[in-house]
Amino acid sequence: MESAVGIIEPVILKEPLRKTPWDRLWEDKLARFSLLILGLLYFCAAFSDPLTPYSMDFNDADVANAPPSIVHWHNVQGKIVNPYVLQVERTFNHETYQQSYTELAGSGYPLQLFIKGEPYKIFGIIPGDIHLFGVQNPGHLFLLGSDINGRDNFSRLFYGAQKSLTIGFLGLFIAFPIGIIYGGMSGFVGGAVDNAMMRVAEAIMSIPSFYLLIGLAAMLPPEMTSSQRFALITVILSFIGWAGLARVVRGMVLSIREEEFVQAARAAGMPEFFNVIKHVLPQTASFIIVAATLQVPSFILSESGLSFIGLGIQQPDASWGNMLKAALDNANELVDQPWLLAPGFLIFITILCFNNVGDVLRDVLDPKMQGR
Amino acid sequence: MSVPIFILKRILQALPLLFIISVMSFTMLKLAPIDPLAHLRANPSISLSAIKAEEERLGLNKPAPVQYAIWITNLLQGDMGISTSGASVFVLLMQRAGNTLKLSALSILFTWLIAIPAGVAAAVDRGKFVDKMFGILTSVGMSMPTFLFALLLLMFALATHLLPIGGLTSSNYFELDTIHQILDELKHLIIPVTVLTFVSLAGIQRQMRANLLDVLRAEYVRTARAKGLSEHTVIYHHALRNAINPLITLLGFEFSSLLSGAALTETVLAYPGLGRLTLEGVLTKDMNLVMASLMLGAVMLIIGNLLADVLLKFVDPRITLE
Amino acid sequence: MAPIVVLSFLLTSCGSDKSNTNTTTVSTATTSTTATTNQTIPSTTATDSNDQGAAKEATRTGVIPTPTVEAAMSHIAKTPQPRPFKLIRASASTADKVIPEVDHQPIAEFWQARGEPGEFGGTFTVGAFGQGPKTFNKWQAADVESDGICQLMYEDLLAPDPWTGQYYPKLAKSFSISADKKEITFVLRKGLKWSDGHPLTADDVVFTFDTIVRKGYGNSSYRDVLSVHGKFPDVIKIDDLTVKFRTTVPFAPILNGLRVAIAPKHILEKLTKKPVAEFGKFWDVNTDLSTLVVSGPFKVSRYLPAQRVELTRNPNYSMVDSLGRRLPYLNRFDVSIVPDQPTEILKFYGNETDFLDIRAVRGSDAATMKKRETEGGFKMYNLGPDDGTMFIMFNMNRRKNPKGKYYVDPIKQKWFESRSFRQAVSHAINRKQIISNVLRGVGLPLYTAESPASIYVDKNLGGYAQDLVLAADLLATDGFVKKGEWLYDKDGHQVEFTLNTNAGNTTRDAVCVMVVNELKKLGIKANYQPIDFNILIDKVETSLDWQAVVMGLTGDKLEPYNGANIWKSNGRLHMFNQRLPAPDGSIPVTDARDFEIFIDQCFDKGATTFDPAERRKLFDAYQEVAYDELPFIYLYSTLDITAMKNKVGNYMPTPLGIWYTPKGSLHNIEEIYIKKAVH
Repeated sequence: MESAVGIIEPVILKEPLRKTPWDRLWEDKLARFSLLILGLLYFCAAFSDPLTPYSMDFNDADVANAPPSIVHWHNVQGKIVNPYVLQVERTFNHETYQQSYTELAGSGYPLQLFIKGEPYKIFGIIPGDIHLFGVQNPGHLFLLGSDINGRDNFSRLFYGAQKSLTIGFLGLFIAFPIGIIYGGMSGFVGGAVDNAMMRVAEAIMSIPSFYLLIGLAAMLPPEMTSSQRFALITVILSFIGWAGLARVVRGMVLSIREEEFVQAARAAGMPEFFNVIKHVLPQTASFIIVAATLQVPSFILSESGLSFIGLGIQQPDASWGNMLKAALDNANELVDQPWLLAPGFLIFITILCFNNVGDVLRDVLDPKMQGR
Repeated sequence: MSVPIFILKRILQALPLLFIISVMSFTMLKLAPIDPLAHLRANPSISLSAIKAEEERLGLNKPAPVQYAIWITNLLQGDMGISTSGASVFVLLMQRAGNTLKLSALSILFTWLIAIPAGVAAAVDRGKFVDKMFGILTSVGMSMPTFLFALLLLMFALATHLLPIGGLTSSNYFELDTIHQILDELKHLIIPVTVLTFVSLAGIQRQMRANLLDVLRAEYVRTARAKGLSEHTVIYHHALRNAINPLITLLGFEFSSLLSGAALTETVLAYPGLGRLTLEGVLTKDMNLVMASLMLGAVMLIIGNLLADVLLKFVDPRITLE
Repeated sequence: MAPIVVLSFLLTSCGSDKSNTNTTTVSTATTSTTATTNQTIPSTTATDSNDQGAAKEATRTGVIPTPTVEAAMSHIAKTPQPRPFKLIRASASTADKVIPEVDHQPIAEFWQARGEPGEFGGTFTVGAFGQGPKTFNKWQAADVESDGICQLMYEDLLAPDPWTGQYYPKLAKSFSISADKKEITFVLRKGLKWSDGHPLTADDVVFTFDTIVRKGYGNSSYRDVLSVHGKFPDVIKIDDLTVKFRTTVPFAPILNGLRVAIAPKHILEKLTKKPVAEFGKFWDVNTDLSTLVVSGPFKVSRYLPAQRVELTRNPNYSMVDSLGRRLPYLNRFDVSIVPDQPTEILKFYGNETDFLDIRAVRGSDAATMKKRETEGGFKMYNLGPDDGTMFIMFNMNRRKNPKGKYYVDPIKQKWFESRSFRQAVSHAINRKQIISNVLRGVGLPLYTAESPASIYVDKNLGGYAQDLVLAADLLATDGFVKKGEWLYDKDGHQVEFTLNTNAGNTTRDAVCVMVVNELKKLGIKANYQPIDFNILIDKVETSLDWQAVVMGLTGDKLEPYNGANIWKSNGRLHMFNQRLPAPDGSIPVTDARDFEIFIDQCFDKGATTFDPAERRKLFDAYQEVAYDELPFIYLYSTLDITAMKNKVGNYMPTPLGIWYTPKGSLHNIEEIYIKKAVH
């Protein structure tokens, strides 16, 4: 997130003497495009409340499973007017089992910018009630239809992004410190302790990760609030990620300890521990940045996989994974309702962007690993 | 160290590892608050005594450490126990292993057949159209949730009526002659193999590309070029062989994935593989089945790694086994 | 076999609840409330309780079933009822055709099927989602998938008629009930044969009931269903074709309980001399399938795990068609195992299967499926409401757990104890909206303990639309006050409880969200918390630590007594006030509420009453009490819909003729055939 925000700032066009990695990342067209998209996604996630017409929990059970609202540009006379939506009514036909929404004649509800709607608090702090666009009640604006509870799919995509996009980073914040400390300790202490610690890490790596994931997710205590569940799912995801990293870090620590400059520092009387910290961390930094960028998408994918089998983020919270799952529960109807695949598309785009950035970042930070 | 001693040593090292894995897996599964008999309990027509009998049969009425002790004693005697369905776990695994093997072997084959040339092409034309195209293609493969991709292909199959909707054999499979049986299975394998190949393409293609680029920068390649050898000869006679060597390690990993199955893909595509079996097992807390499956996965991984090290030694005698 | 819970896949169906006018509803509801407020506990005799019921009936005359329910019911597929089965006497037959009786030849008796003459041969494929069968041993089977497949392989002495629900002899030629209702005598048909050619006689019947069922081999539930006050009926062989069952007291559900597949003694007897565990392993899914010996139309011939079960025709099956030809018509019956329900539908669309049974078609699928009817060459059948019920219940447990703590917080106990509170909740729920959203309109609102599908449903109990004003009034009668946004009880405690359902079920999730929203309008704060299915069951059955739950149970369209496990105070699934079994397995009851005692009595009397009219009165009485007391607040029934390819002949679905998939609504599976001309 920080990285993305940092990048959006205009880059000084003056050619610097020595290009920073960020500059070189920015120069790559694909990476720049990906970063912009990621920036946009994170911006949307952060400011979901003012950007969307409805809140995550808004529901009107009278308009459940509705198709996307039709936005009209022409009035009855065929003249172009302000875009508006019409009130809809639900009917059911016993013969065909068809539940349909028909538009009611009337003047309709014009789309309004900066409309006053449900109150919210951005980041839980900044209060407001202005939404970028929307329609007056009792009109409904469901750009991607509504779900089984009459909630707005479009708005929920934004709130889902909050979960899906942060879960990757939060996972990193847990997995990486553990991995680095564990690996660092193991490499630093060495001997039998190192051996034992590495066996445990290997054991975790040897259990097929998806089964480990569902096994752990199934362990979650049932009575949890949605935020606790979210936190624990994150912990579980990171549990899968740390062992591999620990091994790499350990290897690095071992080799760096033997490097001349570290030996020299040791000879100069610097305490061994600080010594390693001081020299190892910078050395491993670029590896970690690249690994982190590539780890985020795998966390997002894992969450969607967990959701697919019903162990991920639970309703009524929205995540892209559980929204996609809701769509796939009616897989046989997707042909008629392709808009339900939107969360899948967003997962795809996000991961694609992360992978692109990660690839380029690796080229930039670690020329030796170029292109891998 | 000679190869046989190296193998022996690694096997001895693997034993405590397997023990840790088994304890970890067992604890994890035991901690999951899932009752394997919940469906029986919720069934008004199943009597209490029937449930008691079932608990007795599955050993669920004993404390967890005792259950683990029973499990591991049986395992050491070569008995994997019975699944909650009453069937022998060994038989269950064997039934599915063949199917999963077919799927993974074909997927690995196609992945390598496509990825190696694609990696070479991308390295040779670095930064040009071919490279970019493969870059995008592999990124797309990596970025799609497998279950979604599988489902989209199913939709395609339904719309075109060209391919079967999941499964592995047609209804008339056993009335067909051998050739048509093979063709029938292949037809059913097209979608799952496509999914798995597409997803795993990226890793090997990129590795191949990177290796070849590394090699092409190497001293001896420059020398070869300087000698005036054609670019073709340089790449295909000198560089390629050296670039492929490091991929041997990956082959070891691929080997270990042969029997781990692809749970989600298999589930969406109704494929009768080990992955689907294990997934169903985890979700219903079928202890013996899941334990056997996880241990199988771990053993395969250990063998795979060992295999990779030994193979590497064979292709590159300079490497010492430690 | 009795109901198996489909908690995890109660998902579906069709019909709708266009609202009746609010005015009718208000008066309706009010009358019912006043009637119940004055309710006195019935005395112990059945007649008294019936009078009570009749009196209440009178007060309910204002209740009119909602017109939309009728609209929905009018679309139920009606297959004309055929003539009764005919008994055909024939000499022992050739494989494909029975030869009319000739002197000096051994005689065999066949039932003659009632459909049109069909064509022989062909494979019929149905999909079934799940993990596939766990055993092919019918008496061991405890799960729907195994039992469903075994239902194609074994027959019972008797079967319910799919049109009337009355029992008719199946393996038997006839049965009679003695005047004192304690003896039932079955006469078997002559010349019955197992698939291996061994004769099927009274010995097999006696072996089935006296050894397998009584001694509890396999699924011991059969024994419990047949036991009256813990005593198993005597099974007496009269001669080679005659068997008598004798109970100590008249026991009406015995006919239902006798629906047990007859087992081949010549094969299974040796197993019953070994430990019970051996029996469980016999004929499991890995068995050599050629050793299976069956009495039904089909026999499992091949099992491909997670793919397919292939069944082939039993040439010794004892039914013939109207031309005297041996049934079944089909050569093969395949069950295609798919992991989930959408895949099953996709396979049907892709012409890989021929039939979608009730479990496979959810309400949300119906509309799309209907659009494909012509193009896909199939027809959909609406079989009316399912026997399953969906409900919300409160934990009305007043006891303490072994640690001396109340299972339910005493403050909350008072709310859940209040009938007005429960009635208010029922009136606050918008069932019409739930059906529109969750079932896409394809379902019916439910108010009664028996589903509208049951032949015993009390038709006098009408529905009511959501009425928040009435709900608020009801709450006020019990001292609940709304202060500001939230509701408080008369002691000043805020009314707040946890509402659970099983996680990962979109349908139930949506139901809960809607219930929470409506309750909020009354000021009741329900904290919705989805939990894993397993945990839910554990809470409801064992730990008893829950407050409110939304879940579903299957019912039984023919025999309300099968609900005894749920309704009787000592039932294993008396969920709203569950008592834990003592170490000996019995469930002691010391603190039953008056209405629980009343329902106990209805069931006990219902069990010993044979006269249909008398039984109806008893079961009406229990439904009326349940309707007023609302220990379960019912929400909706799904509609059962099936879809069959046009190339299949003789499909005659009826709302009552439904078994477990794959037999499902194919009650006349022996007559089902593939029309070759259409191919």
